[in-house]
Amino acid sequence: MKVTLAMKPVTKGFIPIEAESIVPKNFLSGTDFSVWRGNRELRLDEAFSVSVEGSADRAEDVEVVLSGDTFRLKRVGEYMDGGKITVLGGIGMHCGNFMSGGTIEIHGNADGWLGREMAGGTIVCRGDVADYCASGYRGGRKGMKGGTVEVFGRAGDFLAESLAGGTVVVHGDAGDMTGAEMRDGTLVVHGNCSRPAANMKGGSCYVYGTARGMIPTFRKIGTVQHDGRTFIQFAGDLANRGKGNLFVKDYEYLD
Amino acid sequence: MTELLVKNACVIDPLSGINGEVMDLAIRNGKIVEEVSDAAEVVDAHRMLTMPGGVDSHTHICGTKVNFGRYMSPEDMRAGRTPRRGAMHATSGYSVPTTYGNSYRYSVMGYTTLLEGAMAPLEARHTHEEFTYTPLQDTMANTLFDGNWGIMEAIRDGDTKRVAAIIAWTLKAVKGFAIKLTNPGGTEAWQWGKNVSCIRDPVPYFEVTPAEIIRSVVEANELLHLPHSVHLHCNNLGTPGNYTCTLGSMGLIPDLNKKRQTLYATHVQYHAYGGSGWKDFCSKSEPIANFVNMRPQIVMDMGQVMFGRTTTMTADGPMEFNLYRLHHDKWSNHDVELETGSGIIPVVYRRKNLVNSIMWAIGLELALLTKSPWQCLLTTDNPNGAPFVKYPEIIALLMSKRYRDAEFATIHPDTESRVPLPAIERELDWHEIAVMTRAGQTRALGIQDLGKGHLAPGADADVAIYPFKIDEVDPSAEYQRVIDGFSQTEYTIKRGRVVARRGECLVHGSNATFWVAPKVPENYDMGKDPDFIEKFDRYYTVRMRNYPVQDEYLTRSRCIETEAEL
Repeated sequence: MKVTLAMKPVTKGFIPIEAESIVPKNFLSGTDFSVWRGNRELRLDEAFSVSVEGSADRAEDVEVVLSGDTFRLKRVGEYMDGGKITVLGGIGMHCGNFMSGGTIEIHGNADGWLGREMAGGTIVCRGDVADYCASGYRGGRKGMKGGTVEVFGRAGDFLAESLAGGTVVVHGDAGDMTGAEMRDGTLVVHGNCSRPAANMKGGSCYVYGTARGMIPTFRKIGTVQHDGRTFIQFAGDLANRGKGNLFVKDYEYLD
Repeated sequence: MTELLVKNACVIDPLSGINGEVMDLAIRNGKIVEEVSDAAEVVDAHRMLTMPGGVDSHTHICGTKVNFGRYMSPEDMRAGRTPRRGAMHATSGYSVPTTYGNSYRYSVMGYTTLLEGAMAPLEARHTHEEFTYTPLQDTMANTLFDGNWGIMEAIRDGDTKRVAAIIAWTLKAVKGFAIKLTNPGGTEAWQWGKNVSCIRDPVPYFEVTPAEIIRSVVEANELLHLPHSVHLHCNNLGTPGNYTCTLGSMGLIPDLNKKRQTLYATHVQYHAYGGSGWKDFCSKSEPIANFVNMRPQIVMDMGQVMFGRTTTMTADGPMEFNLYRLHHDKWSNHDVELETGSGIIPVVYRRKNLVNSIMWAIGLELALLTKSPWQCLLTTDNPNGAPFVKYPEIIALLMSKRYRDAEFATIHPDTESRVPLPAIERELDWHEIAVMTRAGQTRALGIQDLGKGHLAPGADADVAIYPFKIDEVDPSAEYQRVIDGFSQTEYTIKRGRVVARRGECLVHGSNATFWVAPKVPENYDMGKDPDFIEKFDRYYTVRMRNYPVQDEYLTRSRCIETEAEL
């Protein structure tokens, strides 16, 4: 089953739409549900042009395609456990919160909190992601616990903060505090980033470019070969009695 | 004139000597009266258990410390969220909920009067503002005097009357209700990076000992004729082997008051530890309970620990630092100028943890080994031991040996060799529970004459009706029914109005705040004492004239005037 949701153009106003109901499972029983714009409840067909092709009886067989100006659409795919969501443009904040299965593919950019606290499944973003991608939430001890997030563009600050499992791969640069507080899982940044893995407790963080503002409380171990390159290995964060591994191609401490 | 008649209520009201009598309660204009006219609104209680509204004599619900607990734990706010509904505001939070969250949840459990356990005098305004938004309970605040410079200097000079005078001025200024000593001297020592290990260690600079502070302040309390006694959080909280220190502190207390206790020792569970370290940590509830059994001048509360997530908060700064070094999670520490300090950390009490299991057992043992329920009151030191929503489970544990055994089977297996709990057969009855949750608190706080905590004519019409009949429930076997019953009242009546019904709060309400204003002779008025004024101007960051809390902060002010003997 393929569900296409084309965002109806909004003539005025910038109020985001909260669309936590857009998960593949919900379309098994039709399209009669609602989303919220501010304090107004909208039927799905008030906000989108909806078209459904085919039918399905498992969430795994449902694909939802979102098109149009979807960059203010929040919480798409929250708690999804199977199926596929394809976003042709950009997507708003909190896409794929708590997801435990299925795939989300975003062709444009994603706003903050992409895949926050996700437990499983796959998110692929072909553009850039904003801050707190694959992270935990305010005050929480554990962030993403499983699954995969792959970003082909750049990532903002606090990428994979409190990462507790799963794999996060960013092909471009990442921002400040990359992998802060991470406790398990794997984080790979193909570009540069700053202050990686601050206060890490466990897990592995790879920086294929330069780690700027390198945290001084990591112990240098030596060089290792990984993925056909030479990395400098650090252990830490000693300030947190951490047992994590940080691998960087190059690094510079703060002056 | 509003009238209400509660018919067929099965009343347990220990202060009036009523135990399980089926009767009608007549209410006019918020007070219990002998009878009402036929025009009165009628609530049929169908012989359900009816008690005076619950009184919590030690809980942390309002003030800077609680609020800091809120903003350092946004994850706690994600739990327990409820939307706006009828007269109820939206709430959030579990161990440190919003003020409305506290008020609604207490009200649904039948509580109508709360005592905030620790208010720093300098930050009193914040506490009173939050009281205003805790609308369904009457409130009062313990005021911290544990590290007060003026008091410590007066004690060093041996001038108990000056101690009393400073307390009188401060209580009146901040609209406080009673004297709280939290780790007396210890929080001041912490400002020098130290602590006091027990009651004989001198406080740096001031050179007075906790024992001297406790004794002088207890005497001062009686000179001022305050309704409540000194409310003491003993030194050395949470350390193995601290029970000797607790016994030492309790041993300092003479019997000075005929109407009530002379010392209220709070959350004694945290002060009843044996052993020389965490490896041989064990329960010493027996010596503590035996000691209290022999001394009518002491009342304590349990400070029961229940398993799960919560937030610990206290004015005991050094203790929270030690706790931080154990947990290595978030920690906050505050210093309150010339008065006190505080510390906060979130914790999780786990069944699989031996120390936590022993702590859980100790609280129950204290309640079961103390012969008179009037001397051991039910609290969790909310939220330190557990959020107050766990009270019904604690009631069920105290009433059912079978429930205790079932729970005991799920905790750390080594607990058995470290605690006497499995050998205790006692099961409390309904009357004892009524004492431990309202009557005992009322007497301990000295608010009986103000019409609180009982249902005799003239009393405030604060009534809790629980949805079960005591002759149909066997608490020893049907503990789940006890838990469910105490979790949600059929009716909670406050000041003659039904404020909560089956989990739903029906009115906006408005709280009353009780505070004391001791009348002292002219020569003991600290507001005119040149030495006191000079110290104030020199060391405080606020001007003395800006220090007192204005009347506008109290929506319904219930001032208790006392005559001081100075």
